[in-house]
Amino acid sequence: MNIVVCLKQILDPEMPSRDFRIDAATREADRGTAGLVMNIFCANALETALQFREQHGGKITVVAFGTSSAEEILRKALALRVDTAVLVQHDFAQRPNPWVAARVLAATIRKLGDFDIILTGRESGDWGDGQTGGLLAEEFSWPCVSFADQLNTDATKPGLVKIRRQTDQGSETVEANVPLVITVTNNDQNVPRIAKTRDVMQAFRQPLTNWSLADIGLDKQSLEECLTGTEVVELTIPIKQAHCELVTGETLEERIAGLAQRIVAVVQSA
Amino acid sequence: MNGELPTREVLWNVTHVWIMYVLLVPTLLIAGYGFYRRFRLWRRGRPAQRFDQPWKRLELVFRHAVIQQATWKQRFAGFFHALIFWGMIVLTIATTVVFIHHDFGLPIMQGQFYLWFQSLTVDIFGALTILGLGLAASRRWFFCLRDAVSNNTKSANVVELSLPNNKLRPLSQLVHSWEASLILIFLLVILISGFLLEGWRIAATNDPWGMWSPFGYMVAMLSKSWMSVAAMQSAHVVTWWLHMGLVFGFLAWAPYTKLVHPVTAVLNLYTAPLTPIGASLRAIDFDNDESLGVNSLAGFTWKDLLDLDACTECGRCTAVCPANTVGKLLSPRDVILDLQHLSHTRDDFSMSIIDATPALSPEALWACTTCGACVEACPVSIAQMPKIIDMRRHLAMEEAVLPDTMETAIGSLEARGHPYAGTQFSRLDWTKGLQVPQLADVQECEVLLWVGCGGALVERNQRVTRAMAQLLEKAGVRYAILGREEKCTGDPARRMGNEFLFQNLARENIATLQRYHVKTVVTACPHCFNTIRNEYPELGGEFEVLHHSQFLERLVSEGKLSPNAQSEAKVTFHDPCYLGRQNKIFDAPRQLIQISVRPASIEMEKSRENSFCCGGGGGMSFVDEPANQRVNRERARQVLATGADVVAVGCPFCMTMLEDGVTAVQASDLSARPTKVLDVAELLWDAVRDE
Amino acid sequence: MTSVVISCVFTWTGIDRAALGVLGAGQRLAQELSGRHTILILGSPSDDLVAEVARFADCVQVMSDPMLANYHSETTLTALTEACRQLNPAVILLGNDSYCQEMAPRLAHRLKGSATGDALSLKAEGEAVLVTRSVYGGKALATFALRRKPAVIWVRARAYDPARPQDASAEIVHMQLKIEEDQRVVLIDRQTQPQDAARLEDARVIVSGGRGLGGPEPFTHLQSLASAMGAQVAASRAACDAGWVPAGWQVGQTGKKVAPELYLAIAISGASQHIMGIADAKTIAAINLDPDAPIFHHCQFGLVDDYRKVVGPLREKIIELLA
Repeated sequence: MNIVVCLKQILDPEMPSRDFRIDAATREADRGTAGLVMNIFCANALETALQFREQHGGKITVVAFGTSSAEEILRKALALRVDTAVLVQHDFAQRPNPWVAARVLAATIRKLGDFDIILTGRESGDWGDGQTGGLLAEEFSWPCVSFADQLNTDATKPGLVKIRRQTDQGSETVEANVPLVITVTNNDQNVPRIAKTRDVMQAFRQPLTNWSLADIGLDKQSLEECLTGTEVVELTIPIKQAHCELVTGETLEERIAGLAQRIVAVVQSA
Repeated sequence: MNGELPTREVLWNVTHVWIMYVLLVPTLLIAGYGFYRRFRLWRRGRPAQRFDQPWKRLELVFRHAVIQQATWKQRFAGFFHALIFWGMIVLTIATTVVFIHHDFGLPIMQGQFYLWFQSLTVDIFGALTILGLGLAASRRWFFCLRDAVSNNTKSANVVELSLPNNKLRPLSQLVHSWEASLILIFLLVILISGFLLEGWRIAATNDPWGMWSPFGYMVAMLSKSWMSVAAMQSAHVVTWWLHMGLVFGFLAWAPYTKLVHPVTAVLNLYTAPLTPIGASLRAIDFDNDESLGVNSLAGFTWKDLLDLDACTECGRCTAVCPANTVGKLLSPRDVILDLQHLSHTRDDFSMSIIDATPALSPEALWACTTCGACVEACPVSIAQMPKIIDMRRHLAMEEAVLPDTMETAIGSLEARGHPYAGTQFSRLDWTKGLQVPQLADVQECEVLLWVGCGGALVERNQRVTRAMAQLLEKAGVRYAILGREEKCTGDPARRMGNEFLFQNLARENIATLQRYHVKTVVTACPHCFNTIRNEYPELGGEFEVLHHSQFLERLVSEGKLSPNAQSEAKVTFHDPCYLGRQNKIFDAPRQLIQISVRPASIEMEKSRENSFCCGGGGGMSFVDEPANQRVNRERARQVLATGADVVAVGCPFCMTMLEDGVTAVQASDLSARPTKVLDVAELLWDAVRDE
Repeated sequence: MTSVVISCVFTWTGIDRAALGVLGAGQRLAQELSGRHTILILGSPSDDLVAEVARFADCVQVMSDPMLANYHSETTLTALTEACRQLNPAVILLGNDSYCQEMAPRLAHRLKGSATGDALSLKAEGEAVLVTRSVYGGKALATFALRRKPAVIWVRARAYDPARPQDASAEIVHMQLKIEEDQRVVLIDRQTQPQDAARLEDARVIVSGGRGLGGPEPFTHLQSLASAMGAQVAASRAACDAGWVPAGWQVGQTGKKVAPELYLAIAISGASQHIMGIADAKTIAAINLDPDAPIFHHCQFGLVDDYRKVVGPLREKIIELLA
């Protein structure tokens, strides 16, 4: 089966909160000294694809829509021996919203050929919209199964995949016809593997397709309609309480009551 | 006796002596083949440069093969080994004298020389050899068995046992221990029969100088009381051929056993590394090297293969291994002996060695803290730990499989330049409230304070870094830090086997340091110290590197820092492996303690080069060990046993590991004293600061 | 009157606290937009459920079909889309359970509207709806303006005040729509996990115990406190190492990384390795005997007291307040 995995490069989510800064004008996070990494759920999706290919064969194509720095994560994917890597570059000041991303990814995938499965992460660690996968399914009018953590197929049932997905109550197993979109969440089975050093070294010599928006038949204007639907009007850093409020009270009973109230207030809004 | 020249008849009572000369041929051939086979085996290894500085090398040979300094570190074994060693040397000289006298016709075995040397000295040394063999046998057959039966692997008695980890009993090990017993029996029979022969000759020939061989003479007197001369002559003949047969048999067999070590140990000592243990690891050439790390005998150098054959099976390495002590699967001795066994039994040197035996399993390999105690303890200069790293390199880079938490640390190093995934600190947080010059601002400095990841990102260690900065400020040192431009030196990556990541990090750091024309680096972390000082030069970065204890000690002696008050506390010092054993720096931190604290510090039983690892090296700081196999708890127990109020450390890993360990031991033992863990810089700062 | 705001309720959740939050948000937003609030109940609802729902709005649209009794990623979405197309609202609100999260963007795409989710607060501003949500792992707050209708928003339901029942009775309309089952995806099996075996990483509320508990028995008290709070129990490394609790309960640098709304640390000192595991927690609270314990540097609130005297009465008080 032919799989395409969509990868997103994001600001390192583990950067210390203290170092996190915002550019109020562009309403974007300021990169500062933070690194750029592959979104963890995208990495889980890639790992899912690699395990699937190990067991059932097929080809893996990875696509990233981002600035030129996104080449780094594609090289990481090449170090894991994916078959094809494609970067669609943009130079937008503000990060593209999921609707734009879905439109671009769809156009890219169409240009690349026919695929059976599109894998994406369930959401990204930066803006965390969690929409791109579903929107991509809509671009193709395909089904979408989200929060998947296991993917399988049976040689006796060609054209079908078996997917286990996480739900609020536990999990579900569904059987679906290809082609479809699957968004992947993490579990202890799809922990991203590390690349062998030789593969890392050869990854830089591998071909990497580099497209602009024009190459996939899109332009900023045609994307505008996607852009104006949702707009970020404000981005702020909430002031975190640095100090701990110790519950006071004359008697132990009072203090316990005070603590209970604080706890219940948080629990009820969870 | 008057006028007669003291001597004895050689080959008295023996006929058909030509048989002996004939049998000498196959003996020498078999023995020679034994050596040749090993030599051929070593040549299958990769190249290595080990012949520079011949005088230094000869000195090593002299110290450890002749004077036997290393063997003597364990008194009991050192003692009986010396007896056997010198005894055998004297006996060999004696036999050579006979050979020269009888077969070359040079009449040297006569007169005063015959009496004082060939008779008296040789007899005494022969008896001492038997004594030595007897003591060795008692250790092997009595004390070891007794402790094995009672499952006591940490015997504290005088015989200083080195028992292998009972979990590892490959066939080769059982074979080795049978072989060792057989060797003892062989030698004892040879020597005792030698005395019998002497005694019977003395008695039967009424040797006028018999008393010059006191032990032979005793045999003679005892035999005379119950044997006739004829009986002695018959016994003599039989025993003579037995003795000769055993000697020749032994000579032919020895090169195939550990008794080859008189030769291989000398060779191994001559070709030993001349650099401190901290500089043991070699860089991989990623453009040209065929394999990354070692997973086959062919991957080792000829020196590594020689190492395997030099092993005397003494087991000291395993006895001092901290991982082995707490019950982990790692046994450096079994790593070496199993590899040796594989090198002798395999034709195909390209076959995989990792996991070929339990001692070479990934579980064992990943348990190593890289402390180097094994390397330090080995009397014949085998390098066990670097071989473990070689195999880790294969696992980390060729197979890309490491323990989970190590993978997380590696991932963090790649993404963030530090191994502490999940930390909410950035590299400058510790400077809050202090005026710490950053090199990016001041552009140049006299001394670069290399903070290290531990010193910057682990809360407890930040206090040490602050103390250090305040000390430097007080002393008026023109220092600076790299701040955010600092990346991990790469030591954890290298120790976890990811040489590629290490070189990337190292090259970046070297470039940064060179861009600022940094000359002197001071760091509170022995791992950073060791890596920048000993490992960066190979990659093009040469700097003067000092551990903070050295630099602070220098400042005190220059009068730039002086204590206002000394605190009263019983302090003991835990030598960091990467500072002490691996770089031979023991005194500077102790001097700092002496300056800061009033009573003299207590020395732990395992201190200086015999220090017991805190368990944090080799990437083990990032691993979750099973609760009953924690190296740091064992060291904490040792610390608490000194009764000290404070254990001083000089390393961020030691700090965290010992604090953890001390707290854990105290939690389970409420009577334990509340021992604090403090860095030597913190002790000094307390002593010099204005209140 | 056309509906301005539609709040969606699904029969497989019923009127739980989350649904009440959605309905409450719907009520208030409809008022802000001076429009009608309609509740769309989709699935296979009983009459009782419909009646219950009807208390909270002027109009209830019932989309009922046995085929919709259980969630299906395609069929349910198609039905929902059709229903919304017919009703043509300005805003569609959903809860933040995983099914709604899955459907919402697709719904918006099909209706050619706009979408955003995990909304912490909603506000009408002219023609647009302003939605505030947490981004960058909680490091920042973003406000989005949804300008294209319909605006499909899934809300962090439990954070909203529940809906208030209305005086007037609602108009109940049974929608007539033909549903076709989408065979491209077929449900094979559904596994429900018992509450305490669910993943710590996904838990919304966690009660955690440390070395100060001294043994395994106190953890049973923590269990009952946790049950009262709807929380899961975790532990620091010290407790796991001592064998008081299973290793899977360990939270910290070499343990699980959790991101709950509330993390209550009981008798945990707060060593940085433990803090690394709870860095993503929205609120951290602690009970510890030692006022200098590092955990208090990382809490929003806490109590300096002996947990033995606190846990039992605390549980009682919490049950009382939650009832």
